[in-house]
Amino acid sequence: MAADTNPAGDWAAAMQKAQTDMLRQWSELGQGWVRAAAPAGGGAGSGMAGTAVPGIGAGMATGAAAGAGAAAEGLARHFLQQCERYLGVSRSLWELVTRSAGISDPEQRSRAFSDGLAVLQQQFAGLWAATPFGAPAAGALSGLPGMAGMPGMAGMPGLGAMAGFGGIPGFGGAGSAFGLPALGPAREQQESWQRLAQLAGRCAQAQMQVAGQWSEIIGQALRELSARVAPRLKSGAAPASMKEIYELWVDSAESVYAQAARGAAFVQAQAELTNASSQLRSAQRELLEEWAKQFDLPTRAELNSIHQQLRDLKAALAAARG
Amino acid sequence: MADATTPVEPATAALGELGELPGRMAATLRSLQAAADVSFGCSEKDAIHREDKLTLYHYRPIAPTANLPPVLVVYALVNRPYMMDLQPDRSLIRRLLELGIDVYLIDWGYPDGADRFTDLNDYINGYLHRCLDVVLRRHQLPSATLLGVCQGGTFSLCYAALHPERVRNLITMVTPVDFQTPDNLLSRWAQSIDVDALVAAHGVVPGEVLNAAYVALMPFRLLQQKYVNLLEIEDDQAQMDNFMRMEKWIFDSPGQAGAAFREFTRWFFQENRLLKGTLEIGGRRVDLKNIRQAVLNIYGKQDHLVPPAASLALEPLLGTADYMALGMDVGHIGMYVSGRSQRELPQAIVYWLQRR
Repeated sequence: MAADTNPAGDWAAAMQKAQTDMLRQWSELGQGWVRAAAPAGGGAGSGMAGTAVPGIGAGMATGAAAGAGAAAEGLARHFLQQCERYLGVSRSLWELVTRSAGISDPEQRSRAFSDGLAVLQQQFAGLWAATPFGAPAAGALSGLPGMAGMPGMAGMPGLGAMAGFGGIPGFGGAGSAFGLPALGPAREQQESWQRLAQLAGRCAQAQMQVAGQWSEIIGQALRELSARVAPRLKSGAAPASMKEIYELWVDSAESVYAQAARGAAFVQAQAELTNASSQLRSAQRELLEEWAKQFDLPTRAELNSIHQQLRDLKAALAAARG
Repeated sequence: MADATTPVEPATAALGELGELPGRMAATLRSLQAAADVSFGCSEKDAIHREDKLTLYHYRPIAPTANLPPVLVVYALVNRPYMMDLQPDRSLIRRLLELGIDVYLIDWGYPDGADRFTDLNDYINGYLHRCLDVVLRRHQLPSATLLGVCQGGTFSLCYAALHPERVRNLITMVTPVDFQTPDNLLSRWAQSIDVDALVAAHGVVPGEVLNAAYVALMPFRLLQQKYVNLLEIEDDQAQMDNFMRMEKWIFDSPGQAGAAFREFTRWFFQENRLLKGTLEIGGRRVDLKNIRQAVLNIYGKQDHLVPPAASLALEPLLGTADYMALGMDVGHIGMYVSGRSQRELPQAIVYWLQRR
């Protein structure tokens, strides 16, 4: 019989690949649709209208009002992205289950699954980190909107991934120059740049620490998944659907994360990233303010001073009124 | 059950799942699009006082009065208060109105760069105090009932301790008192944060920062699984609308006035001053023993943001024997919107008020 020599796994793999490809196309279309709709401030989702994807165009082409419509568009895009990840995680696990299930010896069957999970660790870590929400705990308290691990750094004026250093006298690209004491008429400016460089380096280190924590969590989560699934494989009660194994994965991951997130190493790494990011952000602003002063532009420090004066005046007025 | 010695046949269910997936995704996207203009808030209300970013609302009565003192709802700074009145079948405020309660609500608004120096004294002895003034003047009463929600409950406790004569009864809902219970992950993280640096970097701490912290409490569920689960409600427009409302509320987070954020993080999370009795607001010590009026403390038994122990620490700190703890079998958000809360909580509150 065909089933004996050509297991369903081949068809499953082909179909999974087709679904993944379609999902990716949808995600791209959805993103294009969002981009097309955004500048119009509520115009119809024209990017999606007219596409040949059955069942999608009609719903999306109806157009959305600004505001709430934009929220739905964002949610739709996010939904597609998460489906893509869902399929990626589930497919990898499902393939492993299927492969392991074909082994006749129960012990080997169970071991094959566990060993296979270890191989998946890097892929899973990548799946998680690749999203806009990658390393969520790192972004959580970093103090930078956007929630990605270190959002905003590359886009921050003045940081420019430190590319600007090349154009600053005395900073000719040599990292060692940052360690030298600042001298000469540009001494103050040089110190500002040195501080910025030190903080950027500290942030990068902190981010690596957090990434290491996440890698460890993913690894432990996979081991936890193995501990839950391997006995079932051994007894012949393999998970019956991709959804089931996906939910087992989420349960395992949350269980491990709940413990790890309380651990001293995770807390320390996350706090260091948050604190270093905060200081870097302040240093960036100070540098920007120096530039603004050169052009007699108002600065945040000046505004703060005015706000403080207003506050004091309001308090004095309230006191005078009794 | 399969024999343990024979190979397990690969289930073919995955093929069926995959085959159905495109259709289900398309249906989900259509439902999401249809939920784009979902409405928020359902009960009619009037703005009766405005000050800086704050608005004090009075809800229009919809039932004969229960002849009870007015209730002023003090919501948290960290989310928008429309969660209390989300939609007709998910509105604690509407249920209270139906039971004849006169309801007021403080909407703190969205702080901006001009509010970076606004501190806890401004919020508690300033804004809250003046809002209560407005309510008491309208009713010609010396005191009213405060219903503090989450962080707003903590504010209400501080206020009642500082101005006990103006609070007739005090209701706290999902309110943290002990900020350092072992099960409080948010607090664990907050201990090592340099809040001075964070506030210095931002002035007004963006709502996104807090959102990120909240979703990081359960990242695999809150950042991925809940969206994948939309496939389960693909053709249920009512559920999709509910999801959309919740999604908007969860991420509709005002920035936090820097000075107040600094004080709240340090004094409450890092130093646990309310519990220790060392808290001072506006130069006056907040002594919860000053609270001698009746207190109803409502907490969620499954609350992962404000664990039950964090709320239940209140009782021994109070100066009243008229204390009641009401545990609901819900989580933090379920307290506002779950069917159980809608059915049981307003009646419990009114029953409690009627006996005082």
